[in-house]
Amino acid sequence: MIRTFFDEMYAADGQVRPHYREFARWLAETPEELLAQRRREADLLFHRAGITFTLYGDEQGTERLIPFDTIPRSIPASEWRVVERGCIQRVKALNLFLTDLYHDQRIIKAGIIPAEQVLANEQYQLAMQGLNLHRDIYSHISGVDLVRDGDGTYYVLEDNLRTPSGVSYMLEDRKMMMRLFPELFAAQRIAPIDHYPNLLLDTLKSSSPLDNPSVVVLTPGRFNSAFFEHAFLAREMGVELVEGADLFVRDDHVFMRTTDGPKPVDVIYRRLDDAFLDPLAFNPQSMLGVPGLLSAYRCGNVVLANAIGTGVADDKSVYPYVTDMIRFYLDEEPILKNVPTWQCRKPEELSHVLANLPELVVKETQGSGGYGMLVGPAATRAEIEAFAARIKARPNAYIAQPTLSLSTCPTFVENGIAPRHIDLRPFVLTGRETRVVPGGLTRVALREGSLVVNSSQGGGTKDTWVVED
Amino acid sequence: MRLTIRHETAYHYEDQVRASIQYLRLTPHDSERQQVLSWQLDLPRPVRAQLDPFGNILHVLTLDEPHAAIVIAARGQVDIDETREAEHESQSALPFLRFTRLTEADEALRSFAARECRKRKSRTALIDLMQALNQHMAYKPGSTEVDTCAAEAFAARAGVCQDHTHAFLACARSQGIPARYVSGYLFSAESEHMASHAWAEAWFDGAWYSFDVTNQLARAARHLKLAVGLDYLDACPVRGMRRGGGEQMHAKVLVTPTISVQQQ
Repeated sequence: MIRTFFDEMYAADGQVRPHYREFARWLAETPEELLAQRRREADLLFHRAGITFTLYGDEQGTERLIPFDTIPRSIPASEWRVVERGCIQRVKALNLFLTDLYHDQRIIKAGIIPAEQVLANEQYQLAMQGLNLHRDIYSHISGVDLVRDGDGTYYVLEDNLRTPSGVSYMLEDRKMMMRLFPELFAAQRIAPIDHYPNLLLDTLKSSSPLDNPSVVVLTPGRFNSAFFEHAFLAREMGVELVEGADLFVRDDHVFMRTTDGPKPVDVIYRRLDDAFLDPLAFNPQSMLGVPGLLSAYRCGNVVLANAIGTGVADDKSVYPYVTDMIRFYLDEEPILKNVPTWQCRKPEELSHVLANLPELVVKETQGSGGYGMLVGPAATRAEIEAFAARIKARPNAYIAQPTLSLSTCPTFVENGIAPRHIDLRPFVLTGRETRVVPGGLTRVALREGSLVVNSSQGGGTKDTWVVED
Repeated sequence: MRLTIRHETAYHYEDQVRASIQYLRLTPHDSERQQVLSWQLDLPRPVRAQLDPFGNILHVLTLDEPHAAIVIAARGQVDIDETREAEHESQSALPFLRFTRLTEADEALRSFAARECRKRKSRTALIDLMQALNQHMAYKPGSTEVDTCAAEAFAARAGVCQDHTHAFLACARSQGIPARYVSGYLFSAESEHMASHAWAEAWFDGAWYSFDVTNQLARAARHLKLAVGLDYLDACPVRGMRRGGGEQMHAKVLVTPTISVQQQ
C-alpha cells in the first residue's frame, strides 16, 4: 500500500514551504560538525537539568531522557490561528458538556448521546452530580492532541482533560533552542511561550471565588513518571509542591502543614487521578491522597484543577460525540475535525472493525499512553489475531479508527536527517477566559515508520514554532 | 412499625491518636418507606451535616487533639411502613450499573446470574437469584474480611451480609440491572434484637426494590435504611483514618440498649 505523507517542511514538489525558508537557509549554511556538537550539548544540558521520564512496564523503573530533536516543528501563524480557535471551541464545548452532564443532562434528553454511554461510564462521578463549580469550569487545563492527514488537514486525535502532561517539555525545548541557536530567534518572529507559567497561575487563581487564593501543586510523588513536570511547574509559578501527606482536612477545609503551623489551601492543581484523591471516598488503599478532601471539595471550600469527573468527557467512547457537542452547545460548526471512529460496542460497527483490522488503529476506551492499542498496518498476523480475540471478549472496551498517515517533519537520525511522524498537543487554559500559548508540544516517533509518538513508546520531542508569515 | 434505637460505637487505642478523620453515615433520612421522628448523633465535637455523593446524610468528624478513644453514639426513633414494596426516585439509576473492585463479576458470578435469571429482567428473576445465592453462600461470620470481594466470597461459598450483598450486586449488574448497596439496621422479631445489617436494592421501572439475601427477604419490612452506594465502601456507617494510636485495642458496636418496638 502506498501512503502519502504530508511533510511539514517540504511541499510535494520538494520545495521548502515558505514558513520554513529561513530555517532551511540556516540549516544549509551551518556546518554539520557544529550541529552535531550542539546536539551533544543539548543532551548534556537536559541530563543535568534532570528532565527524565520514568517508563511504565519497565521493571527497573528506568529513568530515561526523552530525546530532544533540534529541528523545530514550525507552523505558519495564519494556520495556527485556525488551530487555536478550533481548540478553544472544543474545550468550551467540553466544559459545557460536563456542566450539563452533572446538572440538567439536556444532551441526553435531546437524544444526542445515549444515557448509558455516559452515566454507566466508570469515569462519570456521582460526587459531581448537582455540584456547582466556580465559572462552571471542569477542565482548567486541557491538552488537545492533533495530527495531520495526507493532505495536511488537522484532526483531533483525542482530548486530555484529566491531568494532561508534557507542557514542561514544551517550555524546556524552547529554552534549549534559544540557548543553542539564538541566531534563529533573531532572524524571524517566533511567538513566545515563556508566559505559560504565568497564565497557568492566573488560570488557577481565577478558578477560585477568592481574591487571592493560595495555590499548591499536588503530586503523587517522585516515583510518578511526570514528577519532573510537577516540580518544574510549582517552581515556575512560585507555589508549593506538595504530596498528599503534606495536606490535611479539618472541618471541611484543607490545610498545608508548614513549619509555621497549618496554612489554608484554596486551589489544588492536582496531578493525581480521581481514584487516589481521597482514601475515605475513593480507593481506600491510596496513600497518595488527602483523607476528607472530597467533603471539603463538595462543601465548596477548595478548588481542584481539573475538577473530579472530567474523564467522562475525554473517554475514547465519548470522543465520537464531541463534534455533536459543539453543534449542540455552541450552535457552531466544528473548526477541527474528528477522526472517523467505529464503536465496537455497536454490533454492525464491530463486524466492520473485525473484518478490516489490518487497516485500522484500535484503541482501548479507558487506555492512555499508547499501551493497549493495535496499529493494524504495522502489526503481524499473529498480533492482529490476538487483538481480535481481545476485542471480541470485551467489545465495549474498544474503538477503531482508520490509520491516519500522520504528517512528518525532518528529524536528526543516526544517518543524517530523515522524515519522522509527529503530532501536536496544544495546552488550553480555561479561567476568566480561554487561552492557548502559541504552538504546544510536538512529539515525534523516532523509529522509522512508527506512528506512535507517546514518550512511553520511545517518542521524542521538538520545539514548536508559530512563525509570523 | 416504630423502631427506637441506640447505636454506640467506641474505639479504644493502645496509644494516643494524634489526629483522626471519620466519614459517618449514621443518620437516616425520610423516604417513602421510613419516617424519621427524631434522631440525634452524639460526637466528641459538633459537626455540621452534609449530603454525600449518593444523597446520604454525612458527618465528617475531624479530631486533631490527641485522643485515646472515640465514642460515637446515634439514637432516635423511626417509623417504618411495612407495606411499602418499593421506593421511587427521579435520579437516573444507570450509574449503579458499573462494577467496583468489591462487586466485580467474574466468570463464575456471571454464569451463576445468567443461570438464575434466564434472560428475565424482572423482580421475580432477582428473587430467584437472591434465594439461589443464599443457598450457595453459607452465612458464616468470620469467614471473610471487610475487603473481601464478591468473587472471593462466592468462590469460598461463605460470607456475611456484606458478602451476600456484594455477590448479589455483581450478579444483578452483570444482567444489566442497576443495583446498589444499602447499609442500615435490621430488627429481628424472634430475638427482639436489632443489628447492623446490609442488603441490596435493584431498579425496576423507576423504583428501588429491596433484596435481603442473608434473610431471603424481598421486602424491607424490618429494615431501617441509613445509606446507599455502589458497594460497602460508599455506604458503610463509619469509614475513617488516623495518625498514631498504635494498635486498635477495642472496637465496640452496641445496637440494642434502649430498643423498643411497638406495633402500630
